[in-house]
Amino acid sequence: MTTILPECDIPIPQRQTHIICHDPENMVLPMCNVQTVPGDMTERGCTFAGCRGVVGGPVKDAIQLVHGPIGCAYYTWGTRRNLSDTKLHRKYCFSTDLTEESVIYGGAKKLLNSIIESHELFPEGKAVFVYSTCVVGLIGDDTEAICRQASEKIGIPVIAFHCEGFRGVSQSLGHHIANRTLFEKVVGTSEPEITTPYDMCIVGEFNIDGDAWIVKPLFERMGVRVLSVFTGNASYADIPPMHRAKLNIVQCQRSSTYIAKMIQEKYGVPYINVSLFGMEQTAQALRDVGKFFHLEENAEKVIAEELAKYQPLIDQYRRKLDGKKCFIYQGAPRAWHWMGPMRELGIETILTATTFGHRDDYEKIIEKAKPGHICIDNPNALEIEEYLVKLKPDFFIGGLKEKYLTYKLGIPFINGHSYEEGPYAGFEGFVNFAKDIDVAVNSPVWKFINYPLEVK
Amino acid sequence: MALMNQSSEPIKTVQKPRSVTINPPKMCQPMGAILAYMGVHGCVPLVHGSQGCSTYPRYNIARHFRESAEVAVSSLAEDAAVYGGARNLTEAIKNVKSRLNPDAIGICTTCMSETIGDDVKLISKKALTPGDAVKIFPASTPSYVGTHLTGYDNALRTLVETMAIKGVANNKINIITGIINPGDIREIKNMLRLMNVKSIFLSDISDTLDSPILPGGQKPVLPDGGTSIGDIADSANSLGTIAICRTAGSAATYLKNKFNVPSVLEPAPIGVINTDRFVHNICKLSGVSIPDDIIKERGRLIDSMVDVHHYMYGRKVAIFGDPDLVSAIVRFCAEAGMNPTVAMTATKHKDFAPDIRAVNTEYKTDTQILEGTDLYEFHEVVKNHGAELILGNSKGKDVADDEGVPLVRFGFPVYDRVGVYRYSIMGYSGSVYLLDQMTNAILGHKYDPNKLHQ
Repeated sequence: MTTILPECDIPIPQRQTHIICHDPENMVLPMCNVQTVPGDMTERGCTFAGCRGVVGGPVKDAIQLVHGPIGCAYYTWGTRRNLSDTKLHRKYCFSTDLTEESVIYGGAKKLLNSIIESHELFPEGKAVFVYSTCVVGLIGDDTEAICRQASEKIGIPVIAFHCEGFRGVSQSLGHHIANRTLFEKVVGTSEPEITTPYDMCIVGEFNIDGDAWIVKPLFERMGVRVLSVFTGNASYADIPPMHRAKLNIVQCQRSSTYIAKMIQEKYGVPYINVSLFGMEQTAQALRDVGKFFHLEENAEKVIAEELAKYQPLIDQYRRKLDGKKCFIYQGAPRAWHWMGPMRELGIETILTATTFGHRDDYEKIIEKAKPGHICIDNPNALEIEEYLVKLKPDFFIGGLKEKYLTYKLGIPFINGHSYEEGPYAGFEGFVNFAKDIDVAVNSPVWKFINYPLEVK
Repeated sequence: MALMNQSSEPIKTVQKPRSVTINPPKMCQPMGAILAYMGVHGCVPLVHGSQGCSTYPRYNIARHFRESAEVAVSSLAEDAAVYGGARNLTEAIKNVKSRLNPDAIGICTTCMSETIGDDVKLISKKALTPGDAVKIFPASTPSYVGTHLTGYDNALRTLVETMAIKGVANNKINIITGIINPGDIREIKNMLRLMNVKSIFLSDISDTLDSPILPGGQKPVLPDGGTSIGDIADSANSLGTIAICRTAGSAATYLKNKFNVPSVLEPAPIGVINTDRFVHNICKLSGVSIPDDIIKERGRLIDSMVDVHHYMYGRKVAIFGDPDLVSAIVRFCAEAGMNPTVAMTATKHKDFAPDIRAVNTEYKTDTQILEGTDLYEFHEVVKNHGAELILGNSKGKDVADDEGVPLVRFGFPVYDRVGVYRYSIMGYSGSVYLLDQMTNAILGHKYDPNKLHQ
């Protein structure tokens, strides 16, 4: 048996199948993508979060209208650090703010009026994205019909996302819904003005803390034309011509492989998986793209320039971080995206966990894991605390909700969801990442935790 | 979505009524309910709803207090939409109980569980086995009714309704805090200490959401502090109940109706007159006289107001946030000689407009009253009526930036500055701090430095 049951889970033994200690002789993957044990203090969010927060939300010139009671709109107002070079999508929060009356009589009229008014007040919005929350699914508003009607009236696309929070088991279904909706309703609705033999889309790159602004120019310097980024700093107009790319590369392979696959199936555009984190993986991504477009020399030139500039800095950080041990707990892909880069800094990841990983995420983790590595699916607060106390990593890369728990235990922490001082992607971003780890691990603040107050 | 037009001085700006809400400084009921439960010792909040309904409030708490907030959720999914959520809630209660061994579980409902019609009281009662020591608080907090303040009020009243029991008179005063900061609670406790008055706080997040790192990183399973279950039960035997925030006052009314505990629902203790009123109420309920230390603190507040009146006289200030805090701050700004131009709250409350109209009458100010609206409208009215300073939570940053004026942060949530939760804006001392913050913001913002060399 390589599954394990931590002490805190003795009352809920069904958690055992979700937690494994890696043994190459007896390989198992954690049970995943199933319902959470009710009341287990899960860190998971909902389908609405995956759709509005992750995939749809970054589209910068769409009016992001949340159809439901006020909370869901408020909590997704400018929270995820998906930056853009305009302000509409993070500065403004649009909601139908449904009240009891709408729950009884339906929210259709309010939604229609809200779409029209938003458009009148913000004519710079190139589309309206309408996200349904739990209660809308339960009262059965026909948002599809209302959006169609509104679109005819205001003359811009109005897209309904059926992402009620209770659907599915985690945020993951929300990603899928956003991908499918954008593919079915938007991709292919217009043609690019020009095409070139070097057109490519970067898929599953949400410009967290400016990641896209680092990685996009790398490909452009190689001579690739980035047709669109899905959806970091994207305009609505960037999505329709995605089908004319010659190649799609997929960075977040949990939230966005769906659309790359659908484009491949319908339009025959191939896609490749990439990891744009760390020096080696970023270089590999550039080489893979260079090979596809027969731009190998250009790729090598860009890699050489970047390495000359940033590798010495990484080497310096490696000297300070060599031998450290870390935990990585992310939504899913960044857990395995970052295991390799950590080794470039001399750091071994001794535990990984994901909130909504599927089988392929865990396969990618186990591929990179050493024997004894612990891997947890959908961890809860108690499990996280128990392993932090038991294994005492030198630092933990998690999300904001885990940050202050970790601090209380005296363990350094890095916010991997929104970053501390990012961006973290690409060669240059990896230097920021290494610096943040150095700051976290080597700050003098930690020594006071074990520095007793004694009368001498 | 309309300006208050029954004001004695009619509003000049008339906005078209809107269906869409844009930039609402309000959250849903579960957010407030969780905060009420976080102030109870050994209490685990349990949200009966979808997973986002616990994750989002936790995120909000983490970024404001810079503390972790462990909140359970019943993880409702499609099957619950069809068959109801009883199975999930029952299992959630069982799992929270067996793994965390809490003193209490504070349940709050959501849009989902209310719409599918789960009887949370009945389900949670059935979930307990005879002899279970754990207390269950089943609050009804549908997200489509009211705001985070409604949720706080409902959860707090549920606490008291569930626990309060007649016993021996305890010679204490109940203080209902409402959604205020740990720093505020500590300041009120300090005042009560100076006045030698014993109290029960309903509830008390001053330790649970501002906890220390302990030697060696030792961490209790549930945070230290919070009001004990025994104290909540004993609230029926107090000398009286004072609600710092009237929006959280229904528990006070309950204690009054059920146990004849006098209730005081008056403005929050910010500024001179409102804090005086709070001190008088303490004296009236407990029979103590005002100690010298309190008189000195009051004197320091007046001293601070005198020190800065040349800087602050006539300064236009626009304020948004929760109604009790906004109306008390409006009065304080008027006391300091400032000119409150706009007072806005997203949560409607019957006392909000009368409070501000009273200030307008007394100080000949012309504060525009916006109630039940959003920051988009607030901004429009600010553009028309002017502001040299904005007071509000972090969501006011864009309005302040667009107007080119500073934002002094108070309320919840404040996530783009550190430490705001640690300090008090209440009582005489807290008011000094608030006024200093406002003055320094004015001095630091385009103020001719030559005028500051004296």
